[in-house]
Amino acid sequence: MEVQINGLTASLIGRLDTPASQETMEALAPLFEQADNTIVLDCSQLEYISSSGLRIFLMLRKQAAAKGGKVIVKGIQEDIRKVFMMTGFLNLFEIED
Amino acid sequence: MNREYQLVLHNDIRQIPELATFVEHIANEANMDVSTALSVNLALEEAVTNVMLYAYPKNTKGQVDIKASILPEKIRFVITDSGIPFDPTEKEDVNVDLSLEDRPIGGLGIFLVRNIMDQIAYCRKDGKNILSMIKTI
Repeated sequence: MEVQINGLTASLIGRLDTPASQETMEALAPLFEQADNTIVLDCSQLEYISSSGLRIFLMLRKQAAAKGGKVIVKGIQEDIRKVFMMTGFLNLFEIED
Repeated sequence: MNREYQLVLHNDIRQIPELATFVEHIANEANMDVSTALSVNLALEEAVTNVMLYAYPKNTKGQVDIKASILPEKIRFVITDSGIPFDPTEKEDVNVDLSLEDRPIGGLGIFLVRNIMDQIAYCRKDGKNILSMIKTI
């Protein structure tokens, strides 16, 4: 799992499974601090996500809501979209192709 | 004849990639499509992670045993541990329709297992938690 931060955009690359979630959370720390802005999570290269990864998404979304920012989830692949649908996450995030 | 597979892990989440490789292998053997394989992998990760994180007291080494059987048109997975009694089938479901403010951060793991698998059953036997899950393919 790799996280590339470029300004307010984070590109998530690879498998966001349980063991990868802690380092991902740490890598995203700068975006949590800037959650009063519009943050983009580029998921076009995200291959897999488990509940520990969804947790991070939700925490960031809640932080943004509290600070007046928003979170855009960009380019999610079909299988991850299904997980988002199953868990109601499609309604919680702004989804962009 | 049914095909049986087994993987033994410990309560160490760093071993989750081994589980992913195991599930991928079974998915290939069962000619499962990629999308189903991914969701089965997710359900297994959630069920096994739950055991790894919560079944055994901290700093105690414990085992998680994963068995898979490829049957006609379905796969059965059985996860066994010797940890504290825990029945995931009795856990209340997460309400995924809640608003952002009311939405709790956790609780999605078991929810995903229930939603992905077609059947899930729990029993406690000889001091062990036994969770059986069936996925129709």
